[in-house]
Amino acid sequence: MLKWIGVLLLPLLLAGQTAPAQTGSNNYVGSETCKTCHVDVWLNFYKNAHYKSIASGTETAAHTGCEGCHGPGGNHVAAGGGKATIRAFSNFTPPQTLTACLECHSKDMNRANIRRSVHTNADVVCTNCHSIHKAATPRYLLAKQQNELCYSCHASERAQFEMPSKHRVNEGVVQCTDCHNPHGTFEARSGGTSMSTRSASNSAMLQPAMDNEEPCLKCHVDKRGPFVFEHASVRVEGCEACHLPHGSTNAKLLRRPVVFTLCLECHNGAGTFGRENLGVFVQSSSHNMLDPKYQRCTLCHVRIHGSNSDPTFLR
Amino acid sequence: MKRLIPFLILYGAVAWAQDVVAPTTGESVAPARGQDAGEYNVVQSWELGYRFATVGGDDGKYRSDVNFHDGIRLLSSYLTVNSRDGHGHLFDEIVLSTQGLGNDPYESATLRIQKNRLYSYNLMWRSNDYFNPGLTVANGEHLMDTNYRWQDHEVTLFPQSWFRARVGYSRTVQDGPALTTEQEFDSRGDVFPLFRDLNEQYNEYRVGFDVTRKGLRFSLLRRWEYFKEDTTDNLTATLEGATVPFGGGTGDASTLTGFQRAQPYRGNTGAWLGNLYAEHQWIAVNARMTYSGGQGNFIQNESAIGLDRFGASQNRQVIVEGDGNRPVTTGDLNITLFPESRLSVINNTSISNTRMNGDNFYEQFDNATLSAQTLHFQFLGVRMIANATDLRYRVSKMLDLFAGFRYSDRSVRSIEDGTTPGQPFQGLAAEQSNHVDAGVAGFNWILWKDLRIHAEGEVGRNSTPFAPISLANYHAIRTRVQYRKKAYSLGAGYQENYNNNSIVITAYSSRSRTYNAEASWNAKSWLALDLSYSKLHLDTIGGIAFFAGAPRSVLTSGTSIYISNIHAANLGIRIPVTKRADVYLGYNITKDTGDGRGTLAAQPTATDQIFYNVQTFPLIYETPLARVSVRITPKLRYNIGYQYYGYHEDFGVLSVTQNYRAHTGYTSLLWSF
Repeated sequence: MLKWIGVLLLPLLLAGQTAPAQTGSNNYVGSETCKTCHVDVWLNFYKNAHYKSIASGTETAAHTGCEGCHGPGGNHVAAGGGKATIRAFSNFTPPQTLTACLECHSKDMNRANIRRSVHTNADVVCTNCHSIHKAATPRYLLAKQQNELCYSCHASERAQFEMPSKHRVNEGVVQCTDCHNPHGTFEARSGGTSMSTRSASNSAMLQPAMDNEEPCLKCHVDKRGPFVFEHASVRVEGCEACHLPHGSTNAKLLRRPVVFTLCLECHNGAGTFGRENLGVFVQSSSHNMLDPKYQRCTLCHVRIHGSNSDPTFLR
Repeated sequence: MKRLIPFLILYGAVAWAQDVVAPTTGESVAPARGQDAGEYNVVQSWELGYRFATVGGDDGKYRSDVNFHDGIRLLSSYLTVNSRDGHGHLFDEIVLSTQGLGNDPYESATLRIQKNRLYSYNLMWRSNDYFNPGLTVANGEHLMDTNYRWQDHEVTLFPQSWFRARVGYSRTVQDGPALTTEQEFDSRGDVFPLFRDLNEQYNEYRVGFDVTRKGLRFSLLRRWEYFKEDTTDNLTATLEGATVPFGGGTGDASTLTGFQRAQPYRGNTGAWLGNLYAEHQWIAVNARMTYSGGQGNFIQNESAIGLDRFGASQNRQVIVEGDGNRPVTTGDLNITLFPESRLSVINNTSISNTRMNGDNFYEQFDNATLSAQTLHFQFLGVRMIANATDLRYRVSKMLDLFAGFRYSDRSVRSIEDGTTPGQPFQGLAAEQSNHVDAGVAGFNWILWKDLRIHAEGEVGRNSTPFAPISLANYHAIRTRVQYRKKAYSLGAGYQENYNNNSIVITAYSSRSRTYNAEASWNAKSWLALDLSYSKLHLDTIGGIAFFAGAPRSVLTSGTSIYISNIHAANLGIRIPVTKRADVYLGYNITKDTGDGRGTLAAQPTATDQIFYNVQTFPLIYETPLARVSVRITPKLRYNIGYQYYGYHEDFGVLSVTQNYRAHTGYTSLLWSF
């Protein structure tokens, strides 16, 4: 028990430890000096979120303005410029870039998992998406508009969003970050019960809704429940058991163009599946598949996400 | 200044494969540096225009997929106001952007107002006309035309301080006409389409704070969520011109002469989130705990009058009342170690416990004779613990390796019961657990400057998949090659996801392979090009069991096959034809070639035919577009654009073909003042 308490209190033990201060002869010269040569960067810098460090007037030299990111500029000035005499991000390895940005930005809860994110594993770090001096968006300083930024690597996702039925990312009403956190999430169980269990890993970096539920429920609040009769696959396997959230040939974003094949692939009575380990039950014998009515499962099972009135989701 | 000029030219020439012709993107009328007004600097642009659309074919499907229609729109607007010294009187920054205001189906607005060190306010508002096809019972009728609206407000006090306070409010509303169905008076009778007005609201209030002291950050957030639904269902006489009474299908006398249903629902969730974070040179710790206690209270009152499928009179009333509960507790502990600069070791442990239970009291009356009463109860609980350990080692500046092992252990418990009052529960209880082990490994390799290769793979095993389609024996491969220079970039990738799940009828197998390649080129000042191609392959086969046959249905086993081969290509090219005029040309096409068939062949039996018809779904969806943007004055541009939407299915599934073609476009003025 004491061991677990120790682990939980580990953050407290770390309190009071801060990054080492700059030492040596390389001095801080202040941002006013930088603008002498870098006038193009400086002219618009007051619109940059990082200008707050200058405006506040209370930050230390190591956390203020240009040198807050690029380090002390004394040697750089003395040498008359040059990338070798200053922290130039273009010379950084991805981990160095990450470390430099996290000196300040690790404080945000949304970025707390960035070191173990799939992006970091792929050497995609801060400056691959954010452009500090040439941002296309004033918010978040993105290098491009968000969907174009994501598409520049995720071309297959672009193809999915160009299916006839899709979430409206290209139309601008939905954004990638509505569902995903590009800075990483608590893997394996980033969404409460369901998302975790599809796979031990969760490379999609899904951003949970209400802190512990499927991101779909942020908008589709009517599907949230709780219901007396839950469709177990929704809670255990997640929305993606039936839906392709990016895009699909089906207007309801189902994984199949028609609904009955989707249902029958689980409801076949086979094996040790389902809550009772007896297989997911077969449809009723009254459902003659030759009758078109029974090919449209949700015609009658209208409350398929969960019902308070009917175990078979009829009302 | 000389260094700035090439950038501005390049920026002006940037192209991307734009998917929607309007609003105009990539063109700017606002001076890059804005205009000074007192202690502030202002940058703004506003695009006002007229959108038009002409649709042929299935208008319902067009509205479901695209939904742009005629009308005047504020296509986009953009405004920033910045204090020039960071010490504005009331604010230091305003950022406002809007899109589609004035009745576009996709409208949005974002606003940020902040004053350094004092406060920050963020607003997000969106509206989506949600026009999905009606249920297929409507024979192609598309009566669903609901509207989703979201808004979110967040105020942060002292955003740069060691103590930050946060207050937020979110609201989601869905309303408008919708279509649903109801089956009366037994499960074999006709299905009746019902027209209803949705009325759903979700409100969330939250308050929290962050404290950062000496390398330690603690966050606490309290949240209150309320959901209510007051949708009512009524029999309508307007559907397809039909008149009350409904029903009387071939061989089925089911008829509804009156139907009314009220189904109010009230849900609320109280939630807590706590987070501790600390980072030092060699270690970072992130711990989080959440709890949410969801509750729902409901009542349903439904009355139906008519004839059953044998022609007997029915007068039925159903009353259901009860509640549902879902407390969810989660915890995460993430420890990252950096024993030396080349190595990082990350371990994450997560636990979650979800319990869903509730009861409903179901009463069904035959108003003419007697009443029957039943009680249902259900419980579903999911507990899980998961652990992931990752190691990453940087061999050199050019190469790093990573590997990891993950496992999760999950327990699913359920109780289902139904009984009449006074009788003991039967207690059909079940419990299962499953265990997933997975290993991952990969590398990042810089072959030479600007050429990068990333590859990773994952292999996993699930001891007890929950459903036949669940991951069981699976592997995934992901690779990507990228060559990037300032003026151009080239990239290619491959992904593979295979899953096999042995079941009694036949092995379930799902195999998806994705290939993609993209290139972009920002040539000096006169040409920008962006193109990409993706191929998404999917083939699945699963064992199915169902009832079919004439005159009597019998249990039948078979296989469900689905094959999809989607080819998607995008092209965007921007050409400044004169000093004043730019032309943008774009082409997007998505083509599913399925399994290669172009027509449906006749099958030996009617049952075979049903499943053969849905094994693949070839279609073409293409959206070419063109736009001309002319600079009239330095602060005014005139834009005109055209976009074609063409949707073609090679054959309709379920006897419905939804092909359409639409000519859309816009003309607008983009100006800054």
